[in-house]
Amino acid sequence: MSTLLGYVLPGIPYGCDFALMAVGLVITFRTTGVFNLAFGAQAFGAAFVFDLLVRSEGLPVWAAFVLSVLLLSPAVGLVLDRFLFSRIATTNMTAKIVSSVGLLIAIPQLLPILFGGSPRENPPSLWLDQAHVEFRLFGTAVNGSEVSTTVITLGAVAALLLFLRLSPAGLEMRAVVESRRLAQLQGIDSGKVAASAWALSSVMAGLAGVLLLPLSNVLNPTNPLQFTGLLVAGLTAAALARMRSIGVAFGAAIGLGVAQEVLELYFPNGALHTASVNAFPFIVLVGTLVGSKSLRSLGFRADPMAGVDPPPPPPSVSIRDPRLDVPMKWGFRALIVAFVVSGLTWVPGYWVTPLDAGLVYSTIFLSVTLITGASGQLSLCQASFAGVGAFAAGQLAAHFGLPVLLGAVVGGLMAAVLGAVLALLAARISGLILTLLTLAFALMADTFLFQYSWSGGSGTGVSVPRPVMGSIDFTSNRAFLVLALVVLLLCILLVALVQRGTTGRFLAAMRGSEPGAASLGINLLRARVTVFAMSAGIAGVGGAMFGSLYSPVSADSFVYEISLAFVVVVITTGSRRIEGAVQAGMSFAIIQFLFTYAPSRFQGLTPILFAFGALNYAQHPEGMVEYQKSRWMMRVSRLLARVDGRRGTAPTALAAGAAGNGMAGGVVGGSAPNGAPGLAGSPVGLSSGVVSPRG
Amino acid sequence: MADILRISEVSVRFGGIQALDHVSLSVAPGEAVGLVGPNGAGKTTLFDCISGRRRPSGGSVTFDGRSIDGVPGYKRARLGIGRTFQRLEVFPELTVREHIIVAERAHRGVGALWRDLLNLSRVRPEEQERVDAILDLVGLDHLADVPVAALGLGTCRLVELGRALACEPKLLLADEPSSGLDHNETDSLAMVLRVVQRERAMAVLLVEHDLQMVAKSVDRIVVLDIGKVIAEGRFDEVLAQPGVREAYLGAGA
Ligand SMILES: Nc1ncnc2c1ncn2[C@@H]1O[C@H](COP(=O)(O)OP(=O)(O)OP(=O)(O)O)[C@@H](O)[C@H]1O
Ligand SMILES: [Mg+2]
Repeated sequence: MSTLLGYVLPGIPYGCDFALMAVGLVITFRTTGVFNLAFGAQAFGAAFVFDLLVRSEGLPVWAAFVLSVLLLSPAVGLVLDRFLFSRIATTNMTAKIVSSVGLLIAIPQLLPILFGGSPRENPPSLWLDQAHVEFRLFGTAVNGSEVSTTVITLGAVAALLLFLRLSPAGLEMRAVVESRRLAQLQGIDSGKVAASAWALSSVMAGLAGVLLLPLSNVLNPTNPLQFTGLLVAGLTAAALARMRSIGVAFGAAIGLGVAQEVLELYFPNGALHTASVNAFPFIVLVGTLVGSKSLRSLGFRADPMAGVDPPPPPPSVSIRDPRLDVPMKWGFRALIVAFVVSGLTWVPGYWVTPLDAGLVYSTIFLSVTLITGASGQLSLCQASFAGVGAFAAGQLAAHFGLPVLLGAVVGGLMAAVLGAVLALLAARISGLILTLLTLAFALMADTFLFQYSWSGGSGTGVSVPRPVMGSIDFTSNRAFLVLALVVLLLCILLVALVQRGTTGRFLAAMRGSEPGAASLGINLLRARVTVFAMSAGIAGVGGAMFGSLYSPVSADSFVYEISLAFVVVVITTGSRRIEGAVQAGMSFAIIQFLFTYAPSRFQGLTPILFAFGALNYAQHPEGMVEYQKSRWMMRVSRLLARVDGRRGTAPTALAAGAAGNGMAGGVVGGSAPNGAPGLAGSPVGLSSGVVSPRG
Repeated sequence: MADILRISEVSVRFGGIQALDHVSLSVAPGEAVGLVGPNGAGKTTLFDCISGRRRPSGGSVTFDGRSIDGVPGYKRARLGIGRTFQRLEVFPELTVREHIIVAERAHRGVGALWRDLLNLSRVRPEEQERVDAILDLVGLDHLADVPVAALGLGTCRLVELGRALACEPKLLLADEPSSGLDHNETDSLAMVLRVVQRERAMAVLLVEHDLQMVAKSVDRIVVLDIGKVIAEGRFDEVLAQPGVREAYLGAGA
């Protein structure tokens, strides 16, 4: 009994910490419809600043607390609301998730760059000393930080509940939860309510971060993984509460904290320990996501007045003058030839590796093009699929002597099966939950699936040899360039065929409107499983190439942050078109390479550069780079039209301008809700030739 | 002849609102029925129950002689239930023509992945003809290659109609197809509906606030109010009933 209690009691403070996170997630989701994954990063940020103020600046603990948790955290929340989430309030779930993923990447990377970062032992405690035993409960020592975490959490949650029940602002908040539109009709400023929800939940997240410090004993700025655990537990508790009840979320979080410690008691060490203790939160999370009926329809906004919302801005459709088609086609071919010839001849040796990497990244990024660009689904585990491919190729080569290229194919197939299973698991589930499921899988892969000698090769990693085909040896980086290009071109062919074919059209339909697609008899589940499997397969093959390039590779090469970075990079450059993946791959590799010349603390900047691009996803789902490109295209088209006009052969205007029922000038999308001029600013294009949405 | 659609005792509840309260109605093959009622009467909710977008808490739906309770929405579409949406559900990035092609291919079941991979998915001449025929029917041939995102509300309604017709439904559920259209467009829409309904012997269930259009397009109407059927029968007879006038003028005017 007392041994059991000895595990139950230490679980409670962890549970309290999870609870703060869960409560924050529930509040923002209910009032604003945003599932803010960035709370994990915000918690880390607050903890980082708190630690910095106390130890580097020598501030008293209370002052650091006021600054980091009570001032900085809500300020961050308000800024996020004001400049990001309030602007995308009526867009779809994917846009909101992409934005929060962008933040989840950017914040933890940015802080160490700003303030320098080395792991710090024994971070400060907010209140009471963790080394000091306060009292004994049934023989179990309870230390200071455990007491303080529990007491402070209980106080914070109680204050929050009182606020929601009693204060006028709290009542307004609860009205907005029922129906944002209805509340507005009753004169409630839902923008103000959203802002206070953001501020409140950000305080909760910040508090969770600061309280976690003494519990976990080390703050490692370059590896905020401990905050990932916090995020997972918070997610799970929020999911268990069906994203609804603060009380249930609180109880579930405590239960999780306790259960995790009790598992330690029954599986103190060995393989079962890693399997059970590490897998436990994920099993609960996946079980809840898949099993809960009321979570299924979560993506569809339950606001009965949602019909009043304006439709989201249509993505700008890039319009290319048909006269540009031929030069572009030949230009593209010339570019490839020039690339190969240069890579094989004059490019200095140390530049060949980044080029290799660019091609390999492009291959992996094509999987994002397929899944996010073509079908509008968001997968946050593409790097894990890549890992499956790499480890499969390496292990098969080591144990069965399978040629690497064959191993890559097998690895791709294995990843495809995994992808299909994930999509099937999520059969009856809305897009948001499927996305969370992929995140859970990614976290699961790096916390334990890849940690075994038979998978990620624990410790030393897995070596993936360079392919040798008969007399052709791809061991040198220059030779590998050719191989990587061939693999990339094959994958491009595959994606192009799918995009242009019926499947691609069905996927585009599904991306546009799921109810609309279903009303035509399109089997959404089949489409989703197909696209997940193909995308995972491509990621797997790309991963095997990655492994072969950088052999040996370990679980560290495929951690979940890399999955997030992949998605963000591709979305920024343009996920709709194949060339977007290639641009993303090449620029990602090259920028990363260029940063090796910069001081080491700037290493993390590459994903940040792209993360800020992803914040624009709501306005420009076609990608920032793609958007800029289409603007340039338009200018060229106009120039051509003017030249033609002088020659007296003005192209006939397409009827579109005259067509729109009341919509002047055939405006093609891209107008941001906040009035930023998109393509709409120039009602051109339609009059300058053929309109091709996916030219 | 047996009814193409028979709804019996269907109920749906949203929290405190009884959106549908034991609603029963049936539609004969080739018949056009108007479903009218004030805002919030539950018309769209009933459509969602028929098309499989929402599962009713009670009651059953029979289509073409078999019960379709528990049949997912996309399968109902394949059985021959087509619909348009009150709140547009178009595919913004696809052109008008592509909408019809997608519908056409979904209907014919030619969407297999291997065909794409063998590059067999180009538009064939006979397919092109069928697509053109639909475009012509709904009067969108001059807009065929414009992405739908660039079109106005009224035009999008026509796109939805054309897309639904391309699936050759036995029953078409049209949810306020004329809202957003001007007077002439509404007239021609009513014409199209009537023509298709007669030529293809397609049953139509039409939700519409424009009573003139209803009068032109249907054989019979059903009046729904606060989730209950309060009257049904011939248009003029039903509208003459005092309860109906009250429901309409009380809430609608
Ligand atoms: N998803 C939902 N959640 C909660 N209530 C809903 C939901 N959908 C509809 N309702 C409610 O159900 C009732 C019936 O709605 P429905 O949309 O079916 O009416 P309708 O007859 O189509 O009205 P209208 O003429 O305005 O289109 C309304 O009171 C509406 O507010
Ligand atoms: Mg309706």
